Amino acid sequence: MPAPRLGRRFVVGGLAAFLGNAPLPGIAQERRFRIAFANLNEEPAARLEGLGFTGLDVRRSFQLAARTLPVDMLYYDNGGDDAKALANVAAAIAEKADLVIEYNNGAAANAEIARRLKAAGIPALAINHPVPGAPLYGADNFGAGRIAGLALGQFAKQNWPDETVIAAIVGNLDDTGPAADRARGIAEGLRQELPDISLTRLDSGGNPLRIEGVLSKFLAAQSKRKVLVGALDDASALAAKTAIELARRLGDCIIVSQGVDRSIHGGAGDRKELDPSNRGSIVLGSVAYHMDRYGYDVLPLALKMLGGESVPPRTVTQHILITAKNIFSLYPPYDMN
Amino acid sequence: MKLSACIASAALSALVMLGGSAAAFAQSDCKTLVKPSPFGPADEVGATNRVTPAVTKAAAAEIQTGKVTPMANNLIDGVPLFGTRFTKTILTSASLVPGAEYGKNKLSYMEDTYLSQSHVGTHIDGMGHIGIKDCYYNQTAMGKYVTQNGIKKLGLENLKSFATRGIIVDLVKVYQDAGKLKPNAACKTPCIDGGTVISQADIEAGLKLYNITLREADAVFLHTGWGDLFQQFPAQNATYNGSEPGLGKAAAEWLAGQKVILVGADNWAVEVIPSEDKEEAFPIHAILLTDNGIHIIENVRTDLIAAEAASSKRGTFFLSMTVPRAAGTTGTFVNLEAIQ
Repeated sequence: MPAPRLGRRFVVGGLAAFLGNAPLPGIAQERRFRIAFANLNEEPAARLEGLGFTGLDVRRSFQLAARTLPVDMLYYDNGGDDAKALANVAAAIAEKADLVIEYNNGAAANAEIARRLKAAGIPALAINHPVPGAPLYGADNFGAGRIAGLALGQFAKQNWPDETVIAAIVGNLDDTGPAADRARGIAEGLRQELPDISLTRLDSGGNPLRIEGVLSKFLAAQSKRKVLVGALDDASALAAKTAIELARRLGDCIIVSQGVDRSIHGGAGDRKELDPSNRGSIVLGSVAYHMDRYGYDVLPLALKMLGGESVPPRTVTQHILITAKNIFSLYPPYDMN
Repeated sequence: MKLSACIASAALSALVMLGGSAAAFAQSDCKTLVKPSPFGPADEVGATNRVTPAVTKAAAAEIQTGKVTPMANNLIDGVPLFGTRFTKTILTSASLVPGAEYGKNKLSYMEDTYLSQSHVGTHIDGMGHIGIKDCYYNQTAMGKYVTQNGIKKLGLENLKSFATRGIIVDLVKVYQDAGKLKPNAACKTPCIDGGTVISQADIEAGLKLYNITLREADAVFLHTGWGDLFQQFPAQNATYNGSEPGLGKAAAEWLAGQKVILVGADNWAVEVIPSEDKEEAFPIHAILLTDNGIHIIENVRTDLIAAEAASSKRGTFFLSMTVPRAAGTTGTFVNLEAIQ
């Protein structure tokens, strides 16, 4: 892909800047870049990638990350609509963006976006869904699922060595996209730790509240067994927790989720599902997708490209299991005054 | 779990819960985590050591018209607080009941029970508020000084006077003048949006508005406009607490280098929230309080003195503020006024 022509001073200084996450007085005065970010969908009710994050969470992460970088951001909302995504890329080209970060899930539209940007000489960086010729940043859904499966299996081996243990994957199983990859990863991780485990899939049909009903029936039929619950998103995990509480099976179940959205880490609110003072919770943890921090990962990649450096064709989100032990370190709470 | 294991577990939990036992704290090497005080190894005072008689005398020269401008918000139920924090007043008025008066002169009385955490409303953070691990101001390994009813070192009873020169830095005006004010729609008056990092250059521009040069022992107050949301309590409490414009790390280090004694602001943490580094918790608190002994005053009402400064073209004043000598405490609500 074409790299803009830049002076040696920028390349050296820019590299130091994004390596250190520090304010960049020298660079800021020399060259600022116009980076366009076309977001998947900023409808407040729309949840992205089958997780609890909204488009506004993603956009906010770019706004926050941009504060200390030599960039002027142009924001666009693709609205989950390919036609709008094409109109947005036309607008970004007209605004003479130095680079476009494209988060759009339409393959055909992304191919056209790639063609238009190439013609305009503007490099692109894709999020979660490929844009031909552009480096891709995004989740490893299978890998993240596997982390959860391993954690569940290890918990069972350590805590229920002499019990009959079964597993259930709960969430939107109709989804053939990222959630399906997560489910396969959970199963893989579970079977790595517990090769003979019986695994049941409980479908929410996209409505987490349905989990209460299906899981309650499942628990009633498994009264003498310990149950490992792999949830495909945090809303499903919290619904599963409610079902387990209502069934009075708190001592028999453990949940590992996917996402670490605000309902888990709490953000600026006081409601934190994972909390160091709540280590007895049956929600053992959730695998982080950091969608509310994408900007901090993606903008440094964009600056590397603008600095003429090569970036890998695929950069994967650093998924990590967040538990009561590490959540305050990785997601420091805001609520102190 | 066996009964003996249950008892042992319960005993351990109780030990941890009590918090008064030094055994519950791991002691760190504080010399590697926190800067020493410039006022000596025994210092528990912090930056108010800088308020000398000469400083107070010079500050008194700021009183020219005698005009007093309030800088504290009312203490009242419903103001923004986090989570389980609370403030509640209970009035005892039993002697108002006919027949319950005292003596033949029928004297009655009322008094209050004030149930509140200390870090609410307009309040000061003391040296015992913030540390890195168990290390607090002046490399104090706090674990051994913590009791269930307070701290035995670095409490507010150690503070000296705040009779010094105050300075209002009108950042709203700085941002307006620079054409970079991106307000929050919830603010009814101009405010800088949450998450905005206040830089050294911003503060210097604010000082330049009124031709102010900082001097040792000054008290610096930042007007960001975010306090507008506090004034709207309880309607905008969630927005107010959700983020805030505030000091960035470089600006905080610069202010510390100017040897100021406190930094106040019309927000709930003085520093920018979310932090510049997403995985750091309240780094400006640590820079100012823990490393430099500089007090933080939160939820300050700055709009009135900012307006006064714009009108009079004077951004300096005599700071009138006293802090209760509440022994063993980490902070307290305060009243403060600007006298010009």
